[in-house]
Amino acid sequence: MKNRFYQLFAAALVAILLGTGVVLTQRPADAAETPAADPMQFARGAQTWANTCARCHNMRDPKELRDDQWRVAIAHMRVRAGLTGQEARDVLLFLQGSN
Amino acid sequence: MKMFTNRKTIATSLAMLFIVAGPAQAQTDASRIDELEAKAATMAAELAELRANLEQAKESESVQELQSLRAETVAARQAAQRAETSANEWKNTTSVTHLAGYASADYVSPENGNAAFGVNFNPMFHFQYNDKILWEAELEFEVEENGDTNIGLEYSTIDWFLNDSMILIAGKFLSPLGNFRQNMHPSWINKLPTAPPGFGHDGAAPVSEIGMQLRGGRNFGGQGKFTYAGYVGNGPKLEGEDGEIHAIEAEGFAGNPDDEFVYGGRVSLLPFPKLEVGVSGAFGDVAVVENDGADISGDPTRGYTVFGFDSSYQLGNFDLRGEYISQEVDAEPASIAPEGGKWETWYVQGAYKFGQAKWEGVLRYTDFKSPHADDSQEQLAFGLNYLLAPSAMLKFAYESNSGLAGEATNDDRWLVQLAYGY
Repeated sequence: MKNRFYQLFAAALVAILLGTGVVLTQRPADAAETPAADPMQFARGAQTWANTCARCHNMRDPKELRDDQWRVAIAHMRVRAGLTGQEARDVLLFLQGSN
Repeated sequence: MKMFTNRKTIATSLAMLFIVAGPAQAQTDASRIDELEAKAATMAAELAELRANLEQAKESESVQELQSLRAETVAARQAAQRAETSANEWKNTTSVTHLAGYASADYVSPENGNAAFGVNFNPMFHFQYNDKILWEAELEFEVEENGDTNIGLEYSTIDWFLNDSMILIAGKFLSPLGNFRQNMHPSWINKLPTAPPGFGHDGAAPVSEIGMQLRGGRNFGGQGKFTYAGYVGNGPKLEGEDGEIHAIEAEGFAGNPDDEFVYGGRVSLLPFPKLEVGVSGAFGDVAVVENDGADISGDPTRGYTVFGFDSSYQLGNFDLRGEYISQEVDAEPASIAPEGGKWETWYVQGAYKFGQAKWEGVLRYTDFKSPHADDSQEQLAFGLNYLLAPSAMLKFAYESNSGLAGEATNDDRWLVQLAYGY
């Protein structure tokens, strides 16, 4: 009985979080749909790159990967490091502009 | 007299001839001149015509050349556009792939055992569709002492980027409990050749899970941020041996023989970017599903809890971090292994880069406590690393270990490791 309660509670919590997130999201998850026009994005990306990456590992050289490879690598790091979507786009712009 | 007369006649004739022939000759010359002038005019006209034809021919060739050049230009422009499109097509593709991972080669020399080399590598696969879906997986290949190659699926998840601060993850994922297992364990990241005792397999820290996870991050204030991860999964299974729980196997199992899920998560706070403080927890019910090497069923479930705390801080060339985590199972009198148990471990680690950040000294202390004395271990590890590249490291380390006498956990060790993340 207790376990069924846990399951129902968790399912309801997940449903609420998902519904809230999807419905209230103002910004599309797909960055390609909203072209960047922020002149500070590059600088923000450099700052986030310097602050976030070194929390766990040595800084990777932007020249290590091509632009398309950074696209995937940053998506992976967004999951791993808890980056927000905006932070991921900022860092990606910085890396693609610095390699 | 006659002769004179003849001469006179001749002269007269000549005179008359001149008189008669003169105008006739003049008339002939004029005619010829007219004829010549006519011919000259004709020739001039022909010459003009020829020149005109020549100019026309030249113009015609120029037009053809011009048209030819235009055609070539158009073809070249189209070829250039195709080349440009081809060169930039990666920017417009909906899907991209990336092969990553890491590998290491080790040398371990224990105080009371044989020195040996070892090797493993972990390829990672990433396949992304737009900025919406990412499939990622990691395999682990390791050569065992008997020569067999051990292959394991570290994780395989489909990540759905719901929005800027929410990612839904399904599949087998690294346990989000604590920080070391999910972020610090790859050999090119870990600053020492080994994981802290208790953070490996069958230790105090859950390794992986199969289920669903929701995670993300959110900024607040100027530089503040928090991250979160919550999950539901099949949970670990208990391994019984000689009437007691030998280990909590929390490595992600597809089956759920105890018919109970486990729920857990982690939240972390970053008041400023260089400081992170995280708290983890999980709860659920688990059961003994393997006893003395054989699968069993029907053993009663019992409570299972995880608690963890972790923190990291970077200051200049210093990197400081620490983590505590424990797994505990309740006692269950009706079980084949009635006693409960608690596995807990913690470590603190300091590292400092020097020599233009090419060298790094590391010091780590760990205390792992298991219900079984032969597994418990206290360790002080020293390391010196040389960074060949940002993701390649040569590590020299010494571990001073304190465990049960006669066990491997009590052996001090020298270790050398070459690690590369790609």
